Amino acid sequence: MGATFDFSFVFQYFIKLLPTIQLTLLIVASAIAIGLVVGFLVALPQMYNIPVLRRVSQVYISFFRGTPILIQLFLFYYGLPEMLKLIAVDAARWPALYFVILTYGLHSGAFMSEMIRAAVASVDRGQVEAAYAVGMTGPQAFVRIVLPQAFATALPVFSNLIIASLKDTSLAFSVGVMELTGKASTLAVVSRHLIEAYISLAAIYFIVSFVLERLLRLLEQRVQKRGLASL
Amino acid sequence: MIALSGIKKSFGKNEVLSGIDLKVNRGEVVAILGPSGSGKTTLLRCINYLEKPDSGVISIGDFKLNCRQHGKKDVHALRQKSAMVFQQYNLFRHKTALENVMEGLVVVRKVSKAEARERSIALLEKVGLGAKLNAYPSELSGGQQQRVGIARALALNPEVILFDEPTSALDPELVGEVLSVIRQIAEEGITMIIVTHEMGFAQEVANHVVFMDGGVIVEEGEPKQLFRYPKEERTQQFLKRITPEAGYSI
Ligand SMILES: Nc1ncnc2c1ncn2[C@@H]1O[C@H](COP(=O)(O)OP(=O)(O)OP(=O)(O)O)[C@@H](O)[C@H]1O
Ligand SMILES: [Mg+2]
Repeated sequence: MGATFDFSFVFQYFIKLLPTIQLTLLIVASAIAIGLVVGFLVALPQMYNIPVLRRVSQVYISFFRGTPILIQLFLFYYGLPEMLKLIAVDAARWPALYFVILTYGLHSGAFMSEMIRAAVASVDRGQVEAAYAVGMTGPQAFVRIVLPQAFATALPVFSNLIIASLKDTSLAFSVGVMELTGKASTLAVVSRHLIEAYISLAAIYFIVSFVLERLLRLLEQRVQKRGLASL
Repeated sequence: MIALSGIKKSFGKNEVLSGIDLKVNRGEVVAILGPSGSGKTTLLRCINYLEKPDSGVISIGDFKLNCRQHGKKDVHALRQKSAMVFQQYNLFRHKTALENVMEGLVVVRKVSKAEARERSIALLEKVGLGAKLNAYPSELSGGQQQRVGIARALALNPEVILFDEPTSALDPELVGEVLSVIRQIAEEGITMIIVTHEMGFAQEVANHVVFMDGGVIVEEGEPKQLFRYPKEERTQQFLKRITPEAGYSI
């Protein structure tokens, strides 16, 4: 089916794919940003043991952790416009990218909430009591004592989630978003140099995640001892 | 002066404090003794509202709080009147010794950083840690951590410092250094309530000893009196149990 292997195409495709990194990173960054906010909101009822909301957030987490992200993508892309029709909102023309970002954001929110909950729980209760005992208010104790330490604990998990979500973005192609994988597949099909296109694609993912990993590792080392104070 | 009256506290059906009345005069050092589970820690924690009493009145200095009717602000105000030294030290682990002591001054008391720094350094020197200002808790021994904990409490210049078994998590060879710091600040006339199992220390440092059992104060009085001639049978048994070699000698 394909043309004969020609290494020069690997280079050519690599260059052609470079600009698309931007779109992929945009999806990752938006998903992580939404994920952090959602994750925090979802973690709250768990941390403060709020009766009904706690259940709701558990179901949320189970759903997004327990079903394939591809299915979630389809559900949102095809299902959400139908639902919005019921309240007279026309979402049929919204760019697919919106749905992708929403899905990935909610998806990472589930993982982020687990990360936040575990990190906050890792700061021992005694330090919070000590903060109260020196006269701090709840929010002061949270911001000054819990958060910096939780942040340091969460960072390695956070790095993993970023890398995982980078790889997940390759599925956005299935609803027609021309991110890295989408672009590479198109190049491959048009030129019939499939292997070359996918080698370039793999190289790009590898380089991007390698760089991200390095940067996050540096941050981790700085935060290790002192938490947020070192930033 | 500190006055507790009618402090009650239950955890579920388990009544841990069954109406505690206690008066502590300014400058007094009160030692609280009693068997495990008698409610000593709970009482101490009620005084700074780490535990909310079910009922009773707490007054410290000119501030009075009725446990049945108060707002968040009152709790905040009450907590500013006292400081606490914990059994497990509970230092802020992401902060240096100096920062641990400064934290309350800067964040709660709104003292300028420069002044807080100066005062904190002086306090750390006083507890013998002038050379460890920039050490993190993980780099300090238990005894050193507890001395930072004491400096942190002193920094706030509270009406009373509450100690919950400040030496019981320490290796035996480190107990002395912490006790001597407490002894030193006791001599300066700082009001203290100390829960302790160190009988010799209680006898030496305290002006007043309180014996608790089953959520009530069974007996209280001057150390000499209470240790030598306990009136209540429960006190006698307790003292006999913790000092097995016939009788307590001074
Ligand atoms: N948060 C809590 N929830 C439920 N029960 C508690 C709680 N804290 C304390 N208790 C119970 O209250 C009782 C008194 O506990 P407390 O810690 O005040 O005793 P203590 O006199 O300090 O004992 P020890 O000498 O062992 O420290 C115990 O039976 C304990 O199980
Ligand atoms: Mg106790």
